[in-house]
Amino acid sequence: MTTIRNEVLYRLYFVVAMMVIAAVVIFAKAVQISVLEGDYWREKSIDKYVQFRKLEADRGNILSSNGSLLATSLPFFDVAFDPNSSGMLESDFNKYIDSLSYCLADFVDPSFTPGAYRDFLIQKRQEGAQYVPIKKNVTFEQMKLIRQFPLFSMGQFKGGLIVMPKFRRERPFGLLAHRTIGYVREGITPVGLEGSFNQLLAGEDGQQLMMRVGDDIWKPIEDLAKIEPKSGQDVLTTIDIDIQDVTEEALYRAVDRHRAQYGVAIVMEVETGAIRAISNIGRTPEGNLWETYNYAVGSATEPGSTFKLATMLALLETGHVDLDDSIDIEQGRTKFYNDEMVDAYPHKLDSTSVQHIFEMSSNVGMAKLVQKYFGDTHKEEKFIEYLKQFNLHLKTGIEIEGEAAPYVKDAFDAKNGWSGTTLPWMATGYEVMLTPLQILNFYNAVANDGTLMKPYLVSETREYGNTLERFPPTVIKRKIASSRAIKKAQFLLEQVVLNGTAKKLKTDKYNFAGKTGTAQVNYKRLNDKTHVGGYQASFVGYFPAEKPKYSCVVLISEPKEFGIYGGEVALPVFREIADQIFATKLELQEPLNAKPAEPLVRSQLPDYNIGDRKEMEYLLKTFGIKYMSTEESPLVLLRAESDTLSLLPYTISKKRIPSVVGMGLRDALFVLENLGLRVEIGSGCGRVIQQSIKPGTPVRGQTVYLRLG
Amino acid sequence: MTFSLFLSLIGIGWLMIYTVGYGESYQKGINDFLLHTEVGKQTIWIGICLVVFFFIFIIDRKFWQTFAYPIYGVSLLLLVVVLFFGKEIKGATSWFVFGGFSFQPSELAKFATNIAMAAYLSSYSTNLKQFRYQLVSVGLLAAPLMLILLQPDAGSALVFLSFFIVLFREGFPLNYFIFGLSGVTLLLLGFLFEVPILVAWLIALGMLPFLLNKEKKQYWLLGWAVLISGSWYFFQEKYQLAILGLLAAAWLALAIMHLLKKDARLVILIFGGVALSSLLVFASGFAFNNILKPHQQDRINVWLNPSKCDPQGSLYNVLQSKMAIGSGGLNGKGFLRGSLTKGNFVPEQSTDFIFCTIGEEQGFIGSAAIIGLFLLLLLRIITIAERQRSGFSRAFAYGVAGILFIHVFINIGMTMGLMPIIGIPLPFISKGGSSLFGFTILLSLLLKLDQHRYQL
Repeated sequence: MTTIRNEVLYRLYFVVAMMVIAAVVIFAKAVQISVLEGDYWREKSIDKYVQFRKLEADRGNILSSNGSLLATSLPFFDVAFDPNSSGMLESDFNKYIDSLSYCLADFVDPSFTPGAYRDFLIQKRQEGAQYVPIKKNVTFEQMKLIRQFPLFSMGQFKGGLIVMPKFRRERPFGLLAHRTIGYVREGITPVGLEGSFNQLLAGEDGQQLMMRVGDDIWKPIEDLAKIEPKSGQDVLTTIDIDIQDVTEEALYRAVDRHRAQYGVAIVMEVETGAIRAISNIGRTPEGNLWETYNYAVGSATEPGSTFKLATMLALLETGHVDLDDSIDIEQGRTKFYNDEMVDAYPHKLDSTSVQHIFEMSSNVGMAKLVQKYFGDTHKEEKFIEYLKQFNLHLKTGIEIEGEAAPYVKDAFDAKNGWSGTTLPWMATGYEVMLTPLQILNFYNAVANDGTLMKPYLVSETREYGNTLERFPPTVIKRKIASSRAIKKAQFLLEQVVLNGTAKKLKTDKYNFAGKTGTAQVNYKRLNDKTHVGGYQASFVGYFPAEKPKYSCVVLISEPKEFGIYGGEVALPVFREIADQIFATKLELQEPLNAKPAEPLVRSQLPDYNIGDRKEMEYLLKTFGIKYMSTEESPLVLLRAESDTLSLLPYTISKKRIPSVVGMGLRDALFVLENLGLRVEIGSGCGRVIQQSIKPGTPVRGQTVYLRLG
Repeated sequence: MTFSLFLSLIGIGWLMIYTVGYGESYQKGINDFLLHTEVGKQTIWIGICLVVFFFIFIIDRKFWQTFAYPIYGVSLLLLVVVLFFGKEIKGATSWFVFGGFSFQPSELAKFATNIAMAAYLSSYSTNLKQFRYQLVSVGLLAAPLMLILLQPDAGSALVFLSFFIVLFREGFPLNYFIFGLSGVTLLLLGFLFEVPILVAWLIALGMLPFLLNKEKKQYWLLGWAVLISGSWYFFQEKYQLAILGLLAAAWLALAIMHLLKKDARLVILIFGGVALSSLLVFASGFAFNNILKPHQQDRINVWLNPSKCDPQGSLYNVLQSKMAIGSGGLNGKGFLRGSLTKGNFVPEQSTDFIFCTIGEEQGFIGSAAIIGLFLLLLLRIITIAERQRSGFSRAFAYGVAGILFIHVFINIGMTMGLMPIIGIPLPFISKGGSSLFGFTILLSLLLKLDQHRYQL
């Protein structure tokens, strides 16, 4: 008994042991695969087969101020077919494959016959293919069409249609404002508005589980865990596409003509600080002209004479200087310590007025004025304080990245090389550095009666056409100087154009104000003379002078042909831009007929028209023409008497031939043929001007000839 | 407890099928969900099975024992009918299809065979020590096995071998098992190694009994070891026959020496054994190369010789499956986040390879939990079996344990490359109504019988 019992027990133990051992073995294998080799398998699977992949979001548009597209993303689609989609029924495939092949051969690839396409797809299905490319880069419209094909219309799961969207950035205006619109590319620092507003424009990428079906071809897997991408917002810029076009065109020609290194032009709206155009023409290493760098924002240089406005405003702000003060200018040649300063334009004047100094842009005069009023050691600081009062030491704060900081030395700052000659040279725009935008912004404040605006490029962000956020103009400083000083500064800028360095290019059509600048670049100040490496010609100004609307800076660096002076090189570009703006912007023109509109006279009113009342009334209402109407009648006669229009009832006798003159042909035919008359039409088109049988003649089935005209 | 294990396994299975099929079609309303998604159909089946569970509890337990043979007969009949009227799916005619649902009679056959076997073994006249009863009991399991092999569905057929566990417990002579297992081992060795090497090993092993009879065995054994190592070292293509001859000669010499001193019994036994084994080894190699179809050869190679297989071909399934499990790592990718199982990379990922989904989404922790749950269930069933007073109940319980065990072990083993790829589902978890149905009636009857365990 015991042996049997024992044997049973052993057998039982054996069975239990077998099960436990099996479990342990499986468990150990699971440890091996999941934990020990986990990384290996994970890497293998993630890299090779399935992963969550990015679904690119539709990037927002960049729009000009009037809504034109400066940069947009166009969707394209790669269409493919999964003949072995897990939800596709054999019966559906067989039912629709013929008509599908017909559609594909017809619309997508005419080089295939429907039969060949059909065989091809059936073969792919039998091979077990999961991704058969149908067509790449189809447009949205084409994609919509393909989506309606038999079988495909059932979607991805049941119909096997795989549509992968992708986007291509397009610039409908080509290179216009290239650098300012900018770009975002992998591996390169983002540039321009695309870069600065990347966050908004980019939207949020989605993700979806995708499966690799070939080299870098991924098929989306139907999956509810999919995260739809969120489209980016649109950015509405302040750029005026017309002004931008003019600006870029004019600048390009100038840089080309003068064989300059680069050129910058910016147009700003005086009242708001909105930038209407911004253009940079640089040179590629090969010497071709191209928007290579945003010099307007990113490159601070010594401005030269255009800075004299700041100097003059500081002098005027002291209240001790007036425009007719006289100053000794030593025939345009003087020495500060060992350094010699000369005027750019040679002259033999010993002394002249402050106003004239500014008009002729005398370096010596400006330098001596500054020496006189700020020369004492305890006053040098005051000059710098004025510059800071004008905000010239601060960035403008424009939205795009990479604005260079202005360089204004602190007084007595030996580390920055403050010396005895710093002040006179600063007075003439050296030993100080500003970007073109910064100098323009300063001039803009002067034009704007002393109110300093923040220059801005983006006025709104939008989503699906609705405004999300508005960026209104920002006042940085209500008043950078006293109104008295500003008025004088404005007057001086106007005089520069009327009598000074810019007078050659003044025009009768409008008044503008501004200041030329011819700065030396790459110079070495030596004891006896200055070695000059090149020049930077500039003009900063605004127009119309009386009621400034736009301010504009043009800066051309290192012109090599046809002149070097701001008045010769930069000013013509300014004029060209201003001329064009004047020609196209109606709001700048004095209205020719600033009188109330004259009432319409009889000769201008439509007279003697006959027609259906409803049509006539509709027509008149649509055009907003007032009329008087008396009785109801289906046909009306439109009569104009002095300055009123009236609709008179028009009745037609059944027995006598009516007058159809003034009717349209349709109405005339209707009326006459209803009376049993035959109608022949002669030459011409339009309304009936003559009829062959007089009105009032009894109706006897005659033939009436009509003339139209 | 058993019932809660049952429910939790079914629940896990439902979730896994849900995640595999997860997609747009889930959002189209309850009717579409139930009728046109895999998980929907599974939901219906689960409902049916719960009802079945209930019914089995209502029906008197004696019904099964009484009607065991008729039920068995019907199931055999169904297996025959399916050969003629069944629908062929994936090369096997093993399905009845009506409406959107399909049913596999082999699942019913498992249950029927189990009760028939239990009834037979618990009958008082049965004595497994006698050859007659041994033959009948093996015949009980062999009949459905053969019919299923005709479909052909080797996986399901294999499951019927699990009844040997019942036979083992009920006192089937050990020698058969020893012979059987040795035979299977030799067969597998025959697949794996070349015949001359195996024969050489067999001869070498055949020498041992003679040596152990010598007086100074340690010297003899040392000599034997030297001979074996030498042979092993020189065993290459061109010396094969020479070495084989040498070994055979040495063996013969030993045998003759033995004969001179003692009787022939041992010699005959050993010669017979070695000859039979060699024959088996040779037969297995021959069968592998000449009888098995290429895809069957592939399966065995994938199992035993993975390095020889084409990763894009025969090895693909196992690689993908391992990749899915492996990429789940310790914690898994999370529910609904299994990318490989979703991307249809793993074959049959809601049926036979559903374990991959668990491995991928729930990670090692999930896999371990499943293995643990099954082990717990198996041990629980054995415990239940051993506390039965009725022989029928005990045998039946062992049958349930055996069927479950072979399913779980082979299924999970195959997803990890431990076992050959044999298409059998993971109990309670895999999608498929008939399998769920089959396991449900097995388990519910077990619980019903256990309820009356103190009655004979």
